[in-house]
Amino acid sequence: MAITGTTRKTSAGIGRETLVRWAPLLVLLVLCAFFALMEPRFLSTRNFARILIAASPALMVAIGVTFIIIMGSIDLSMEGTVSVSAVAFAFCFLWLGGTLASWAWLAIPIAMLVGAALGFINGLIHVKLKIPSFMASLAMGFVGTGLAMVLTGGDRIRIEDELFRALLTERILNFPLMVYVAGIFLLIAWFIQTRTTLGRNFYAVGGGEDLAIASGLNVNRVRIMGFTLAGVFFAVGALLAVGRIGIAETATGNNFMFLSITAVVVGGTALWGGIGGVWNTLVGVLIVFVIGNGMVVIGLPGYVQDAVLGLLVILAVILSTDRKSISFVK
Amino acid sequence: MSTFIKDFIEKEKINRRNFLFASAYGLGGAATLGAFGPSMARAALTDPTIAWSYRNRTNPYWNEIVSGGEAFVETLGMSKDALIHLINEGSSEKSLADMKALLAKTGGNLALAIDTNDAPNARPVVEAVAEAGAYVSTLWNKTDDMHPWDFGDNYVSHMSWSDEGPAEQTARILLEAMGGKGGVVHLGGIASNNPAIERLNGLKNALKDYPDVELLAAEPADWDTQKANQVMSAFLTRYGDEITGVHCANDTIAYGVLEALRAEGIDDMPIVSYDGNPQAVQLVADRKILATVFTNPHWGGGITASLAYHAAIGTFKPSEEPHEHREFYGPTIMVQPEDALEFKANYLDSVPTYDWTDYWGPSNGPIVYK
Repeated sequence: MAITGTTRKTSAGIGRETLVRWAPLLVLLVLCAFFALMEPRFLSTRNFARILIAASPALMVAIGVTFIIIMGSIDLSMEGTVSVSAVAFAFCFLWLGGTLASWAWLAIPIAMLVGAALGFINGLIHVKLKIPSFMASLAMGFVGTGLAMVLTGGDRIRIEDELFRALLTERILNFPLMVYVAGIFLLIAWFIQTRTTLGRNFYAVGGGEDLAIASGLNVNRVRIMGFTLAGVFFAVGALLAVGRIGIAETATGNNFMFLSITAVVVGGTALWGGIGGVWNTLVGVLIVFVIGNGMVVIGLPGYVQDAVLGLLVILAVILSTDRKSISFVK
Repeated sequence: MSTFIKDFIEKEKINRRNFLFASAYGLGGAATLGAFGPSMARAALTDPTIAWSYRNRTNPYWNEIVSGGEAFVETLGMSKDALIHLINEGSSEKSLADMKALLAKTGGNLALAIDTNDAPNARPVVEAVAEAGAYVSTLWNKTDDMHPWDFGDNYVSHMSWSDEGPAEQTARILLEAMGGKGGVVHLGGIASNNPAIERLNGLKNALKDYPDVELLAAEPADWDTQKANQVMSAFLTRYGDEITGVHCANDTIAYGVLEALRAEGIDDMPIVSYDGNPQAVQLVADRKILATVFTNPHWGGGITASLAYHAAIGTFKPSEEPHEHREFYGPTIMVQPEDALEFKANYLDSVPTYDWTDYWGPSNGPIVYK
């Protein structure tokens, strides 16, 4: 919304807005073409399955934070929430029988409730205590990591159940089940974003909070619900992460903050709110994981990856911002 | 008139300077007495505070180290909460600042076990401890040019591990299992970490005797299960069937590798790892991993605290001990499928009760500098 009305025509006749809208997808395609040229095996179905397996948990976490970023806030509690949800799931799962064929399936909704509860508390702290979301969520993230640590005592919990691990080992059309689960939750997120009042309210808050308040929207309620929803998606990410590795531990949440924020921004969702959505996030997550996979596949040293991602973030912000309309940056 | 004022001001300046000098000397002298006085007067401490300074407990390795420290404290008849934890979260500055704060709080009545996070940080830590008359034993990090015997009794001991030899042994087990031919990939730790470098060197040393095995790639996986999982997946794309063996820098990496292979339906790939975590030992017993190396972090954590404590209370006098009792390698035990279950029963299922006054029994000889 912030950039409407500044559309300028380029010589090819493509509006800036169109370019901004499709730039992330373009970047993704260029990256794929580049890696495929360097190493044809990059394009194999098996490799795409590998990229999607790696990307599924991060996609869930990134979708969660997308809603928050659309509101113009930020949620940095994902690492703690993922760890606590993963550990809570593992404990309940083993306690209730240790196989999906028993009551242990209840551990899945329990983990999602745990994620929702953490997100709810996060939202309450942010809204009621009037602490900026950046600080409130970062602090909650640390609390979560600490809580997971206390729960596990530093140990790792193995989930060996063949039924649950079918998320990874069972394949339909060459792709493991977890990829389809992630796909279903992506569609749910898309539904929430476009077809529910809550989803549209996220844009209202992010696009202009004053206007939203003036039109009678209970912004605080929207915010708290947003953080709760994000918590649920973090928990789904945790479940997929446990499904992928078969281990729940405090370190399950590691790296998700960098990955998800990078993915959301690179995907074209603006950090100041109101712009973007879950499809942008899908493209962003794919960009991040295509780079991670492609670098190794073409044999580039791993430490270059972070540098390339950093450059991409800057590029993404340049592309998605009309800098002429901004008088100063802080 | 003006000369009078000038003289007066000049005089006052000198007086004030003298006063400042005098007071500075007085305060400094008092402080020096405070710092050196008691430590010089007493040969040993009574009932010192015992502390362990380390990265954090999230990491299973450090968790084992501190649990050893707690076990030692319990043998002194105290609750394990009596052990003070200084957590540096990977920051040398925090490590030094927290340690100095504890020195000030205890007035130097301290027995400290510490990994200083990086080698250069060892010197300021040891100097501060020695100055306050406390006692310190270090683990893993210190520069090659400083030695415990340079600091009298206060720098009690340093223990480290050389991983090159054991990593070479596991590599040989791997290369034999591969039939001496094919391609091997290495997934390493954080590229700049010393153990990561040594473990890769171990593999390279072993490869010299196996000309038909190619080292396809060596990538850092940062000691991280999920990162290792992704790197291994990408290796499978790049090399596919060319990979006939995997050399992992530690167990947490091996877990990620195993799951990446499981996703592809591969369950007979020869893999070796390092660290001897309980889960990895079970995987060795199940022949999913061919070998891992146990470095007994529980003993390492306990004995490092014990050395500092017993030197502090005067049970032994460090300066009277030979050099190999002050700088030594920690234990390494190779775990293979044949002995994995026995090893697990002896070391992991029930943590052995160690004699924490047998300071050097399980250690592995003096540290050799290259």
